[in-house]
Amino acid sequence: MITVSSLTKSRAQIRVLEDVSLVSDEATVTALVGPSGSGKSTLLRCLNGLETFDSGGITIAGHRLNPGPHTPVQLERLRRDVGMVFQQFNLFAHLSAIDNVTLAPRIVLGHSSVEARARGLELLDRVGLRGFANARPATLSGGQQQRVAIARALAMRPRVMLFDEPTSALDPAMTAEVMDVIVELAQAGQTMVVVTHDHTFARRAASHVVELAAGRIARQGAAADVL
Amino acid sequence: MTLVVWAIAIVAGLSAITSAAELDEVVARGDLVWAADQEGGGPHVFPDPADPRRLTGFEVDLAALVAEELGVKPRFQQGQWDRLPLLLGRTADCVINGIELTPERQRDNHCSRPYFAYSLQLLARRDGPIDSFGRLAAPGPQGRWRVGVLTGSAAESVMRSRTDLEVDVIGYDGTIDSLEQVSAGVLDAAVMDDCIFAFYADRFSRLRTVERPFAGGYYTILTARDTPKLSAAIDQAIGRLIADGRLKALFDRWDLAGRQQMLMLRDAGEIPVARAKSLGELCRDSLPLLLKAAGMTVLLSCLAFPLAVVIGLAVAVGRMHGPAWLKPLLTGYVEVLRGTPLMLQLYAIFFLLPKIGLALPALVAAIVGLALNYSAYESEIYRAGLKAVPAGQFEASLALGLSKWQALRHVLVPQAVRIVMPPVTSDFIALFKDTSVCSAITIVELTKRYSVLALSTGRIVELAVVTALLYLCMSWPLALLSRWFERRLERPADGTMAEG
Repeated sequence: MITVSSLTKSRAQIRVLEDVSLVSDEATVTALVGPSGSGKSTLLRCLNGLETFDSGGITIAGHRLNPGPHTPVQLERLRRDVGMVFQQFNLFAHLSAIDNVTLAPRIVLGHSSVEARARGLELLDRVGLRGFANARPATLSGGQQQRVAIARALAMRPRVMLFDEPTSALDPAMTAEVMDVIVELAQAGQTMVVVTHDHTFARRAASHVVELAAGRIARQGAAADVL
Repeated sequence: MTLVVWAIAIVAGLSAITSAAELDEVVARGDLVWAADQEGGGPHVFPDPADPRRLTGFEVDLAALVAEELGVKPRFQQGQWDRLPLLLGRTADCVINGIELTPERQRDNHCSRPYFAYSLQLLARRDGPIDSFGRLAAPGPQGRWRVGVLTGSAAESVMRSRTDLEVDVIGYDGTIDSLEQVSAGVLDAAVMDDCIFAFYADRFSRLRTVERPFAGGYYTILTARDTPKLSAAIDQAIGRLIADGRLKALFDRWDLAGRQQMLMLRDAGEIPVARAKSLGELCRDSLPLLLKAAGMTVLLSCLAFPLAVVIGLAVAVGRMHGPAWLKPLLTGYVEVLRGTPLMLQLYAIFFLLPKIGLALPALVAAIVGLALNYSAYESEIYRAGLKAVPAGQFEASLALGLSKWQALRHVLVPQAVRIVMPPVTSDFIALFKDTSVCSAITIVELTKRYSVLALSTGRIVELAVVTALLYLCMSWPLALLSRWFERRLERPADGTMAEG
């Protein structure tokens, strides 16, 4: 499902990623761990083209990414298949929870409002927030916002889900509710890559762990072996 | 209402305190300050073509002669023609600038004995349809004929009183603006003093005189009402200039038919003095006109501002997300429009575009001018608004597969619009007041109507209070709206289905 081969990236003459290679199969959860500045978030952002890289290559959900800038059309196609959840949630502040979830299906996939809304409510139900469909992001807790953000990404039916430190901005109680949702997704067979500092979370959710240090892969293997 | 009357009374009282310089002060000072408008002012007062720093004209010579009679030197004071009488007692001792002797002017100022006899002349394009007054009695192919005049001149009041003609009378601030507009085909005809057209005829060779001059009167020197000795001295000076032939010689030098002028000045009759209106009459006569002009102010604002917002938003988006070649062009657009006066832009659109064949009606020119000028300011506000939307919103949109334009349309712009609502509303109030600049291109909106009424009735202060109240009545609701938007933004919004 995901193949990264010999990925290298520099930023202002500093090597951010150096010869990174990894393989991730369908229906597996890969955790990217390592200290701050080790390049794990950059690697994740390369996977859906939010960052470019200098050499090597990526194949993800059947899309091929080459070094250098990507074309807008290529990226729009890729991102229909690769969803992303951010540390700061990034919910659309002017839209209600349900409108956040239905926006992309309506304007990218051309689904009707009725169709998108029905599916959106289903997804909000899945993350336990059906009752908050009409709430604005500003009125939701961090954990609730992150769960809406997960529902929003799932609405595009992505083949791969990327999580960029999804629980780092949350307190322990809220971390638990978000973690439960991610673990459920894993059990349902969703292919995922999760950047995290939280080893408990990685042990619980991930089948495969990749540890980065200073832009290189330090260790990788089965979760039980690495952690 | 009582409060308003008190306010009017107090301000009127204050304005009466300043007093004009009497003859002894003028003599002690050693100069006679005479006011005139040199803009398009031939043959009266205009910059000498050989040396534009010097003024010339038959009234420059007349002012020199009058000052000499008073034993002082003449000193020129520039002013806008229709507002020259307002300078009396403030910066000028007298006004010498083709001021026609009328009953209203006799009421508001002291008018000297006549020094020149003028006639009014109808002017039209050689290749145009206006070949007689009779033509103006029936509507033309585009409805009423459009006739330009100098604002506040006898030509304007005479043409406005001609209810037998199918004409819309349009007032211009400069003498020869109407000639330019007839030449360009924006106007059908113009009416002005015959000596002015005679002076500019060579420059406007496409225009011709239509029929003989049809009405006329006399020019007078204005002085303030409270300087009887100065007024009397000027009257005597004119008398001596007529008696000893110096005035005739002056007119002959300027090719103004001195002998005929002398005959007409000799036979000039008395001009009646107009009666001052009571406050009640003033309000009854002025309010409907002021309200109609307020309607024009509202119309201009409500049509120009939405346009400005749409253009401004497009420019802001173009500057931030458009192709590289577009960005410097848009930056230039913003800087040129922000860096030049609105008045100049309106002039360019109204007076210069017709020269390249694009003649816009005044209302369209005004709306376009206001919209373009304000679009520059709105674009800067929207640029700030777009920058204030967190970067994560854009990334989240892209990560969901939205294109850049879809992200702008559905995520960034809606949020930016909400953020900038208070400054944009405030700009709407600013534009609403800036519509007064449009009077420069013949639009009669509230400020212009005030100015015309105040000068024709002499009730400058009372009408100013009424006009200010009308402006407040319109801008106050806008201010409330602005505050309502701000409160709505601060309040955490509850759930609503947005985005159709």
